[in-house]
Amino acid sequence: MNEELDSQLSAMFDDELAPEQCELLARRLSRDEQLKSRWGRYAVIGAAIRSERGVSLNPPLAGRVSAVILTEPALSGSAAAQGVRRAALRWWQPIAGAAMAAGVAAVSVLWLRAQGPLPGATLSAQRTAHTDAIAPGQGLSYVVPRAPAARAVLVPSTTLANYVVAHSMVSSPVARRNLLSAFMTSESANAASESITAAEEPHDVQANIP
Amino acid sequence: MSRPTFRNEHFAALALAWTATGVAPAEEQAPTHWLERMNQALTTRNYDGTFSHWHGGHVEMLRIIHRVQDGTVSERLASLDGSGREFVRTGASLSCYLPDKRTVVVEQRPPEKSLVGFPAVTDQTASFYDIREIGRTRLNRRDTHIITVSPKDEYRYGYRLWIDDSTAMPLKTQLCDTHGHVIEQIVFASLTLPSRIPDSAFRTEVSTEGFQWLRNETPPPPAQAGGAMAWSAMRLPPGFKMTGRSAQTLPGSTDPVDHLVFTDGLASVSVFVEPQRAAKAGESPVAETAEVGSSSAFSTVVDGHKITAVGEVPPDTVRFIATQVKAHGK
Repeated sequence: MNEELDSQLSAMFDDELAPEQCELLARRLSRDEQLKSRWGRYAVIGAAIRSERGVSLNPPLAGRVSAVILTEPALSGSAAAQGVRRAALRWWQPIAGAAMAAGVAAVSVLWLRAQGPLPGATLSAQRTAHTDAIAPGQGLSYVVPRAPAARAVLVPSTTLANYVVAHSMVSSPVARRNLLSAFMTSESANAASESITAAEEPHDVQANIP
Repeated sequence: MSRPTFRNEHFAALALAWTATGVAPAEEQAPTHWLERMNQALTTRNYDGTFSHWHGGHVEMLRIIHRVQDGTVSERLASLDGSGREFVRTGASLSCYLPDKRTVVVEQRPPEKSLVGFPAVTDQTASFYDIREIGRTRLNRRDTHIITVSPKDEYRYGYRLWIDDSTAMPLKTQLCDTHGHVIEQIVFASLTLPSRIPDSAFRTEVSTEGFQWLRNETPPPPAQAGGAMAWSAMRLPPGFKMTGRSAQTLPGSTDPVDHLVFTDGLASVSVFVEPQRAAKAGESPVAETAEVGSSSAFSTVVDGHKITAVGEVPPDTVRFIATQVKAHGK
């Protein structure tokens, strides 16, 4: 990739490229796989550096960002990156056409938003051990049951849809949106029909409660 | 270069409305107040937005349209790619269009029987989460407050929220597991807050020709699904309480279902109790688990009834609650 193109790409991501140049570059983006790959890396780095500002990155994450910056193939070689790229490319084409019609600025926003969070990103506010907040009447000792070995069982997805819709009416607004969004996506469609599992030992739950 | 993704006039109008009603300046808001304002904005405002939903390395774009008009809530959530599924709510009617299953699920919820409202953040809730504002940042050229909600134990998930300073709309949300890892993310790419949204915005674009329609046409039963049996949880994870109960029928079934609701003020779990259909000879009941995004479901059989728990909590939590639900007062 020539230096000028790289510079233009960087400027476009930083919202500093002239609109007419943005449009030309966006058109090239839609057909240049190498350019798309580089744009994806800018998006990931930008998400870490800009959108996450104020949130401290943990060392492994910082290391990964550095690796992305220093070695071009690092991101594209990871499984997570392939997932991101697969998803991003899947909706890139329809979005690109509409976005260019509406203004290329939308492309940069939408592209950035299509990236998932970096693997391993953690809350900077660390969790603290739960020691003194037991509800009245509750025991001090709980044993969370271990996830049992599972085997696949097919259950009707419409049954799950009934439960999801009914539960969504009593969830907090944010949780509700997450739940319904997950159910609307194709991944959850697969989850509903294919990834239902059955516990082999349904009655091994223990609770050490006085 | 301007980004056409936000219509600032709408945000400005909204900010003025809040000022007029005497809401304290943003800089004085405590983190829990930001959560309350966010819930208020999400449930009472008109908005139309497109957002990306990320889970498990998979990204999909969805559009949400929400309107409150004359006290009636209308909502449409549609997958813009992938399954093409849509959820449409108009008042008490909830419809789920599943093109991939060639099915439409329609639930009519009688208002007087409905479980209404959502969990409220209380002081007790705050004792099970560490709720902080960890900073402010610009997102899509909007000033946002970053609020973190970190669970203090393994029974619930945490959130990281980018809440718009003037409208309290969450422009970006991350759901984090008990180890703090991001497991689900929603980020708005565009968002407008129109004063009026036409009815046509809530009509599905899914062609339903040849689809099966599942409705709950049977009136909800007057008593619990278990007849004279009352169902409750013997034990609950710390902080969870039962806050609601209703009897209803679900689409595609004539069996009555008890719906119990448990919440800690942020996370909630629904437990559905319905008569178990007769098992074949020699067939032992099985417990089933499922995940919908970051939400979990677990189903088991107790006293001839199928108990299913669904909630935006870790799998072990729904499993724990489901297995603690018992009948009493036969």
